[in-house]
This record gives sequence, structure tokens and C-alpha cells, in this order.
Amino acid sequence: MESAAKVMVSTLTNPLRVGLRQERVIPPQCLVIFGASGDLTHRKLVPALFELFVQRRLPSEFAVLGCARRPWSDEEFRQKIEPSLKAAIAAEPEGWQSFSKGLFYEPVDLRKPQDLARLGKRLEQIDRLRATRHNTTFYLSVSPSHYGAGCRALAAAGLLSDPERSRVVIEKPFGTDLASAQELNRLVKTYAQERQIFRIDHYLGKETVQNIMVLRFANTIFEPIWNRNYISSVQITAAETVGVEERAGYYEGSGALRDMVQNHLTQMLAITAMEPPGRFEPETIRNEKAKVLQASRLADIESPWSACVRGQYTRGGSSNRPVTGYREEPGVDPNSTTETYVALKLFIDNWRWQGVPFYLRTGKHLPKRLSEVVLTFRDAPVHLFDAVGGASMANQLVLRIQPDEGANLRFEVKAPGSGMRSRPIEMDFSYDESFGEPSDEGYVRLLADAMLGDPTLFTRNDEVEAAWRLYTPVLDVLEDAPWQLPVHPYEAGTWGPAASDTLLARDDLLWRRP
Amino acid sequence: MGLPDFIPKPPDTMTPPPVTLQSPLALPLNEVPSYMERLWDGEDVSRPEGASTFTLLVWQPAWLEQELGRTGGLRGPVTGIQRPELIEAARQAIQQLGLHHATAPFDPALVEALRREPGALQPDDLRGQLIDGRISELQPRRLISVNPLLDRTAPLESQVAAYCPMPEAGAVNTACGDVLVLRGGVPVIAAQLQRIDPLVTPGLPCWVWWNSAPEDSPEVFDRLALPPRRLIIDTSLGDARGGLTLLGQRIRSGQTIYDLNWYRLRSWRESLAMAFDPPSRRSALEQIERIDIDIQGHQFCQGLLLGAWIAAQLGWSLQHSRFDTEGAIHSQFRRPDGATPAMVVSPAPIGMPTPHSGTVVGLRLLTTAAEGPGLCVILCGEAAGCMRLEGGGATQRQLVEHVVPVLDGPLNAEVTRVLSGGHDSTNPLLRMAGCLAAEMLPAS
Repeated sequence: MESAAKVMVSTLTNPLRVGLRQERVIPPQCLVIFGASGDLTHRKLVPALFELFVQRRLPSEFAVLGCARRPWSDEEFRQKIEPSLKAAIAAEPEGWQSFSKGLFYEPVDLRKPQDLARLGKRLEQIDRLRATRHNTTFYLSVSPSHYGAGCRALAAAGLLSDPERSRVVIEKPFGTDLASAQELNRLVKTYAQERQIFRIDHYLGKETVQNIMVLRFANTIFEPIWNRNYISSVQITAAETVGVEERAGYYEGSGALRDMVQNHLTQMLAITAMEPPGRFEPETIRNEKAKVLQASRLADIESPWSACVRGQYTRGGSSNRPVTGYREEPGVDPNSTTETYVALKLFIDNWRWQGVPFYLRTGKHLPKRLSEVVLTFRDAPVHLFDAVGGASMANQLVLRIQPDEGANLRFEVKAPGSGMRSRPIEMDFSYDESFGEPSDEGYVRLLADAMLGDPTLFTRNDEVEAAWRLYTPVLDVLEDAPWQLPVHPYEAGTWGPAASDTLLARDDLLWRRP
Repeated sequence: MGLPDFIPKPPDTMTPPPVTLQSPLALPLNEVPSYMERLWDGEDVSRPEGASTFTLLVWQPAWLEQELGRTGGLRGPVTGIQRPELIEAARQAIQQLGLHHATAPFDPALVEALRREPGALQPDDLRGQLIDGRISELQPRRLISVNPLLDRTAPLESQVAAYCPMPEAGAVNTACGDVLVLRGGVPVIAAQLQRIDPLVTPGLPCWVWWNSAPEDSPEVFDRLALPPRRLIIDTSLGDARGGLTLLGQRIRSGQTIYDLNWYRLRSWRESLAMAFDPPSRRSALEQIERIDIDIQGHQFCQGLLLGAWIAAQLGWSLQHSRFDTEGAIHSQFRRPDGATPAMVVSPAPIGMPTPHSGTVVGLRLLTTAAEGPGLCVILCGEAAGCMRLEGGGATQRQLVEHVVPVLDGPLNAEVTRVLSGGHDSTNPLLRMAGCLAAEMLPAS
């Protein structure tokens, strides 16, 4: 009973929830991480794996094989991993002892066939040692330029030959434009079947993004009004309060459009706008996402500059916390024209959404860190009541992706008093308050799904290509006539350049200021 | 009776079905180890390799199926698979034998009653040969099916077969497995058990699925269920005391154990947790004064496991436990704040019992509140109405009611879940609840 008493620590969490998750069982396997000495492995992947272990969602017959060029031993790899798990290890010291027995390391250079041959032998050894049933998931946490070569090397070593037992997880970005994504897809498909490829987008690992599907397709009250007859506009925002930090080298070549919009925001768009799938199965869902992306277009393809605003943060902040401008950041070209902010107006040419504008925006050094989808409903056809605030406000459904995950519905009610005047109120749902346990971090969910072989939350080749195709007019202008899409400066800590407000003002709309 | 070809059931998924490499081969048990060794360890590189998965050792008496087959109550072969025809035949036998209508199809009382019936039919015995597709998909490296016969003097027969999955186009690794079927009288099998140990593939996990009452054939159980083998039992089969005692012992000894009866409780655990997810209700968990759990029949395991889980999660300590005059178990606990809540596990009348004895059919949880009427949470199984639990004025409190689907699906689905990604340690919730449930069962 001693340990039971330990469980009953506080009613802030629901003690009956502790240890109760009914998760699908991950089959025995070896997860091979290429780029094991890198930041992502230490900051995200291994912590996510340890979390899965603590939650008993990893089987005992499991191993992690770290691979990188550094000549580490198994023990060195374990020691390198430890600091990134300090707090988690302190909470679960016995768990770490057990988990770390399944951590191995093999120096591998993906360009050297002899290294791959050695890797194959090492996997055989680990399979015998840990009974991993020949199931292998390869996680390519390496430079995107190595994705194609990595798949080729794995295939040449015979490590992808069994599509039932081997799969490859690839991080974003998947290409830098439509042509490069198509070429990469072609290359990858040469060496593995599409069902073996898991293109990860960590936004899809967020409970709240997945909840958009549940909200829409598990309730009868939303789907009938989820269309152009009732919705007047949709805003999708992913705002960051940080700047480029240590990623200037990468960010200079990518910018906000490639870094955030083509993947994360477009996935949110797809899930918000897709048609209901016939069944909740990976391919039916991915079919619907691909279809809606294929029907999406920039609001003005002929003049992309009228549907897109680019911005770049300048010096700002307060006297206590001054913020450096983008062009002054270490590693950034002082004359850089890379956008740190982008806002776009899109349309979806289908029966459900024809004529409804979708506004996407993302930026760095904005006032708040948040991601949300805002659906604004059409005005009531007749205004019977005076509004307390002068004009009634349209109903609005806000799906908060992060932080304070949840949803919020704004509607009009009678203001207290003798008259019949209306005022808006908000009905709020918060994940933290409604459930007795915290949500998993996105990588926990996605790693588990990849190891389960469930591709539902991973992007398929046609989705990736449709997403790049959607922004090709903008990328073409940036290539051929960049002066048409200048970067508008905005002060760090504000909601972006004024031109971005103008984009909506033309439609008599305003960005939501959360 | 002759053994037909090894015919695995087609799996439910797209995974290709396994195919036999050879016809089942009858061999004396002492020749089996060397035969198995030759099967996989030859020097021919083109031959398939043995799957590095696990050994599954199944004690598969299928007493109910055998007795129904012997007495003509069930047509067709004995398979060891829990299937609708078997449950239907059991229900009919319960009626014909005049057993209480609330007797569950897998209640040991039915087997006892059938044993007294005349009959000498000998249906084909396909135990160990009809493998559920969901299990064969996992490619056990070795499946050893130990199948006792009703005739305790029947000599030992052993047969082996090897199987492989249909290779995928382009696949190079073909990992295969083998099946050993042992059949004979219980004493005969018990005398040969030491020959089974070398057949458990070294270096791979070994699961022992005791598909019978935990107290069945203890001389066999003790020999097969040796640590560190991982045990799968079902405390709904057989006597509650035997099941809970075994569960408690093995948990305390550190052996990995899975109780399928515990897994069937998951919708109850989830529904009860859900009732307390809203933050406004969480403080009520500290004010529980009484919990009533209704079960089907007199097999207390599942009811006690559910009650023990709640008590353990809330940090309650058991004070004492007793049977009342109507056969219910009254337990008194001490809460962390010193109050003494009561828990009552009662047999409830059920018109159409689920296949397993002791299935939980209702739960009521009452709390006090410093102000206001307190809270009444009622969960009732879809097999039973909530009416009984709503009585006694309990619902004059703030009421939360849910209907809980009673999970009593195919046994193999649960086993597959365990085998497909098992652990080498017992689930912590079961570890706590199993030990406490054993303590909650009073001496008769």
C-alpha cells in the first residue's frame, strides 16, 4: 500500500487516471536513429522514447541504436544521453536503469557501404539480444540533403527489403519547392514503398490538431455548419515569441514560408477543411487531406503579391529586454531579404469552401506564442437586438492548438437588464482543466505511431507535393521578381507589418488579436 | 483420431497467412528436441531462419469443450478456441442440466455437472493446430500446445509442424516458427514435463498461457509456470480464492503476470476515471464514504480487482473484510484523512449472464460533502440496468451516471494484445490491485 499512497498525491490530477492510458501496443523493434549525436535526438527523440517507456508503451523487447559518425561506444552514447533526461531520470531512476540497457550505438557514415554492412550485422546482434523480431524503424534525423542518399544506402544494404518489418521516418523539410520535393519523392520511392515512408510533421502530433478531426467528425453540431453557408472566413495562426536563435544558418535559406507555412500551417488547413473520411483509416484520411490541398490555391494566382505579405522583424522589445533585429542576428546577412513573417490569403475551390477566404500567418518575435484556428461565422441575417457594444459580433469558434490547448465559442446572449440588448460571451473548453492528465508532447505520439506502423498522422507524398504546389506562385515570384514581394519591416514584439493588416482590411476583416 | 493438416485461420488483417513447410509429423517426445534443432540450425543458408520472437506455451485443457463434445452438446472438433458455438452450446447445457439460470457459460459448475453425464463421443482434437490468425501473425518462434485429454490414462502423443509466412515480394528474411502439440492424460503429461523445458527457445521470451482455472492441475502449473516465464492467467475461470491467491503470490514473487480478467475491466476503470475528470468533482474522491460493486454470480475476482484498484489509487488501507449473510463481501478501509469508507461487493441477479463468471455489472460510489447533498456516481453495465443501484435514495445526491460496455470479447484478442508488445514486468496497477484484492477476500 505504500506505493499506492504515493500515487494519491493531489486531486489536482485525477488519481484514477494514473497509469490508465489505453494505448495501442508498440510491437518489439529496434529504432535506429541516424543523427544520434544531434540536437533533435537529445532534445526530443530520446526524451519522447523514455516517456513512452515510463508509460509502459514500449515493450521489453525494444532497443534504440544510435548512429552517427562520431566513434562513440554504447556506454558513451548512454552517458551523452543522460544530461538531456536529467529531470526524467531523477523521477524514474529504476526506469532509466532498465531503459538504458536497451540503448546502443554504432558509428555509421551513411555514405560508406562498409558502414551499412556493419550496421546490418549489429542489427542482427541486437535482434538476438533483445528479441526485436526483425522489426526496424530508421529515423533519419540528418540533414535533408541526405534523405535520398540515406534511403539508397539502407536499401543497398538490404535493410529496407521487408516492407512489413522496416520503415523510415523523415523529418521536415521535405524538399525546398515542388520540383525538389518531386525529385526526393521519386528517389525515396525507388528504394522503399510509400507505406514504409513516414514524413513527420510534429504539428500533427499535437492533441489539439487531432482534436479538430474529433470535434468535426464525432459531433453532429459542427459538421452541418462547417461550410461556406455558415462560415465567412478562417484564420490560421502560428505565432512565435522567439527569433531565429541558433538556426540562422538554416533559416536564412528557408524563411517562414518554407519553415512553417508549407508544412505546419498547411497541415492545419488540411485538417480544418478536409471532407469527412469514409472510415478512420490512414489512407482514407490522407486521401481527403490530399484532395483538399489539391483544391486549394492562392487567392490571386496571377498577382501573388496581392495575396501574400512578407515581413522581417526589426529591433524592438523594451528597455529591459531589448530584441535584436533579424539582420543584426549572428549568422544573418545584414542585407537579408528572408522573411520572418508571412501572411497569405487562400481559397479552396470546392463545394464546401468556395468563396471562403483562408488567412494564414506565422512569424517570429510576435507578442505571444500561440497556434490557433479561428472560424468566423456569418452574421445573423437580421439584427433584432441592439448590441451593448454598438454592433453585434459574429460567432467565432477558436481552436487553440497551443498553449492553453482547448476551444472557445463566442456567441451573443442577452445582456442583463431591463432592455433586450445583446452582448458576446465565450464558452471555453480547456484540455488542462477538463482532463485529469497532461497531453503528450507531439514527438511522443508520432514516434509511437511510426513504430506502430500507423501513417495516419504522417504526410503522404501527394500531400507534400500538393502543399508545395499551393505556394509555387509565391516561390516563383520570389525567384523571378522578388521586388514584387518585399519584406516589410515590423518591430519585434508586434503582430507583424501593417501590410498584413491591409491584406484583411481589403475584405473588411481584422486579424484576431489573441 | 488423425491429425489433419496444419491449417491456420486466415488472419483478419492484410498480413499474409502462414503456410506450413511440412505436414504435421508424429514423433516420440524424446526425439522432438533434436528434430527441432535440425529444422532451424542447418548449414543450408537458403533455408528459412527461426523467428526471433517468443515461445508460447499454452496449457489448453478446454475441459468445457471436451465435455460438451463427449456428451454430444457440441458438434465439430475440439479447438481450444473460445467461439460463439461453444458459448451457445454451454448455455443450452446449463438449461438442460437444470443449473441456475444465472450460471455463466464458463462457470466451473457447468463442467462439473457435465462430468456426471453419460457420453462417449470422441470429436476430432485440433487444439494447437487451429491457431488464431491474430496470434499466428505475431509469428511465435515456437508454439507448444499442451492438451490434456479427459481420459487420464491416455498415452502421450506429440506432433510437430513448421510454418512460415507467405513471403512478400522482394522480402529476403523469412522468419518461421514451429508448433509442438502434446496430447495425453494429465498424469501422463505431468510425468513428462521435464522434457518440455529444453524445447523453450533460449534467449527469447517465453509466455505461459494458462488457459484454464488457476487451480487446475497444480502439478503441471508449477512446472510450466516457472519464473522468468511470463504468465497469462484468467482469474474468472475457476475458484476466486485460487485465482487471487495465485495472482498475489506471483506478483509478490516478482514474476511477470497478466490477468485477462483484469484487462476485461478496462472500460470500468476508464468510465470511473472519466467521471472524475472534471476538476469540480476531483475533490469528491477524498470524500468517498461507500462503494457498491455488483457482480454476476459468486465469483468475486473481477469485483474485488475493481474495488482494490480504486482503493489503491486513492491511498486507502484495508482494515478488515467479511462475508455477510447474503454472500456479499464487506470491506472497510481507512482513507488518508482517517475516515473509514466501506466497500461492498455483491452478487446480483442477472437474466442473461455473460460468458465469464463474476463479471462486474454495476458500481455505485457515494461521497459526503461538507455542504450540499454529496455525489452519487453510478456506472452500470449494458447487460444490466442501473435501477438497483439507483435505489435507497442515493440519487437524491448530485448524480453522475454512465453505462459501461461489458467487455467479454474473444479471449484470443486479449492474449494477442499481451503477446504483441509484452513487458517483462507486471502492470503496476495490477500489481497493487492484485495483492490488495487477495487480501480483501475474507476467509470462508
